[in-house]
Amino acid sequence: MGNILASEFLKLRRKMVWFLVVIGPTGVIALQALNYGLRFDFLMKQYASDPWGYLMINVSNLLVPALLMGMTIISSMIASLEHQTNAWKQTVALPVGRTRLYLGKFGVTALLLLGSTTLAMVGTILLGLLLGHELEALPWKSLLIAMYGSFLSALPYLAVQVWLSVAISNQAVPLTIGIAGLVVSIFVLNGPSSLDWLPWKWPFLVRAEPMYSMVAGLLTGAVFYLLGTIHFVRKDVG
Amino acid sequence: MMTDIVIETKGLTKTIGGRNVVDKLDLKIKRGEIYGFLGPNGAGKTTTIRMLLGLTKPSSGEVRLFGKSIGKERVALLRKVGSLVEYPSYYGHLNAIENLETIRLLLPGVKKSRIDEVLSIVRLTKDAKRMVKGYSLGMKQRLGIAAALLGEPELLILDEPTNGLDPSGIIEIRELIRSMPARYGLTVLLSSHLLSEVGQMATEVGIVTKGKLIFQDQLEVLKGRSKQQIHIGLDDRQRALSLLHANGFKAELSGGSLYVPQGDDKRIAAIVRMLVQQGLEVSRVEEQGDSLESVFLHMTGGEGEL
Ligand SMILES: Nc1ncnc2c1ncn2[C@@H]1O[C@H](COP(=O)(O)OP(=O)(O)OP(=O)(O)O)[C@@H](O)[C@H]1O
Ligand SMILES: [Mg+2]
Repeated sequence: MGNILASEFLKLRRKMVWFLVVIGPTGVIALQALNYGLRFDFLMKQYASDPWGYLMINVSNLLVPALLMGMTIISSMIASLEHQTNAWKQTVALPVGRTRLYLGKFGVTALLLLGSTTLAMVGTILLGLLLGHELEALPWKSLLIAMYGSFLSALPYLAVQVWLSVAISNQAVPLTIGIAGLVVSIFVLNGPSSLDWLPWKWPFLVRAEPMYSMVAGLLTGAVFYLLGTIHFVRKDVG
Repeated sequence: MMTDIVIETKGLTKTIGGRNVVDKLDLKIKRGEIYGFLGPNGAGKTTTIRMLLGLTKPSSGEVRLFGKSIGKERVALLRKVGSLVEYPSYYGHLNAIENLETIRLLLPGVKKSRIDEVLSIVRLTKDAKRMVKGYSLGMKQRLGIAAALLGEPELLILDEPTNGLDPSGIIEIRELIRSMPARYGLTVLLSSHLLSEVGQMATEVGIVTKGKLIFQDQLEVLKGRSKQQIHIGLDDRQRALSLLHANGFKAELSGGSLYVPQGDDKRIAAIVRMLVQQGLEVSRVEEQGDSLESVFLHMTGGEGEL
């Protein structure tokens, strides 16, 4: 498995993907820094009761849409590497099972996005310290849930995007569906709790209902990952 | 011994859209052969090769590599196979070394130094550090062949490997392929739609048309079968045909061209004289060599089409 990932990462050399992985979380933190900078005194007073908690809410309100967008774009970029010269026929004819090849594609995409999530978390802490919040008061559990919990809750979304991007060579299809999904999630984000079963809501719901959102995300994500694998294993290549 | 047959297919069939694109193919390729897999465009060569590599599942029938069914031991069998299907695949933003490294990482037991070896075999050493998107088609093709050789395969499957190469490139690749069984103990399956090309490399030939295998034997047998004909280019072929038949000459129209059997100079001269005297405009008299076309026409009783 290590070799498959090494091969996938080598394919990303000199690719825009790295820029996106860094620019996404950096942009989110920068926007929040601007937000706080512009109304520093007002916000400090407003958020005095729970400065870290409000900072996390502000960051993750921007981070989750960015994460969903990133899942769409990065899945597509990773799959495009093979689609461009139909390298699938070369890769699939290598002595590696298709299940593992698919795991490699999913794995490299997930690792890149986890990297972005980690950058966002580090950025949040740095921004908080810059604003004068005390490190001792940092609620680690809530922070981890706001960051990695969002990622886990968004796994169904990622699994579907990887599946579509790998299955369909015309990347306009997965990109359109991914963006449509993002729009849906923004629509339902403040919707009533009767809509909590919608996977699009989970990445936003995770702060309020962490266990439910993460477990549902993990399980549903696993189902779509499995369906994507089965499809890839059976698919005609070349 | 069972393992002396490197590729064996039994009743291999692929149905696409209700049509048998590959139709009950029984291939048999022995170790050390260079097998020329011939057929016109759309005959089903690439589809067959894709089934050999497990890229596509057969609709029915079986593929056996090294005596084992590919259905069960695909991954282990593919370790011994190098392939280049249809046109080369590559990652344009990587150089040749990086491209080969992405593949080497997935080939157990292949040392890094092997990359330099295969690059020198296909003469890309000088351009190894350039991004592949800047390569010419021929260079990409050679990189594809290097990739196929990387795992020191026992079986090399090349689909139209001289596609897009210039004459000197074609000769280079031809020499390379021809030297392989002797040098590396390889078995090679090579597809092409040009007999003239395969004829210079292959030891064994299989001809497929409309999905069916219509010939499979040694190249020598095929050469014996290919009858030499004379193609006569003229304006009113229909009238020429009647005239020739009326005067007791053998002739046939196929694919809109007039052919008479190869014969001694006097007879050909007599035919041409007669046609000219009858007021027909003879523009060409040429010998038709062992092109795939003439062999095809011969094999399919004049009804074959290219
Ligand atoms: N995925 C597909 N969908 C529809 N038709 C297909 C598909 N794959 C192959 N065919 C058809 O199967 C036939 C055989 O195609 P194939 O590519 O195997 O021919 P070929 O012998 O390799 O031809 P060429 O010399 O042009 O490369 C063609 O008529 C082609 O249109
Ligand atoms: Mg073909």
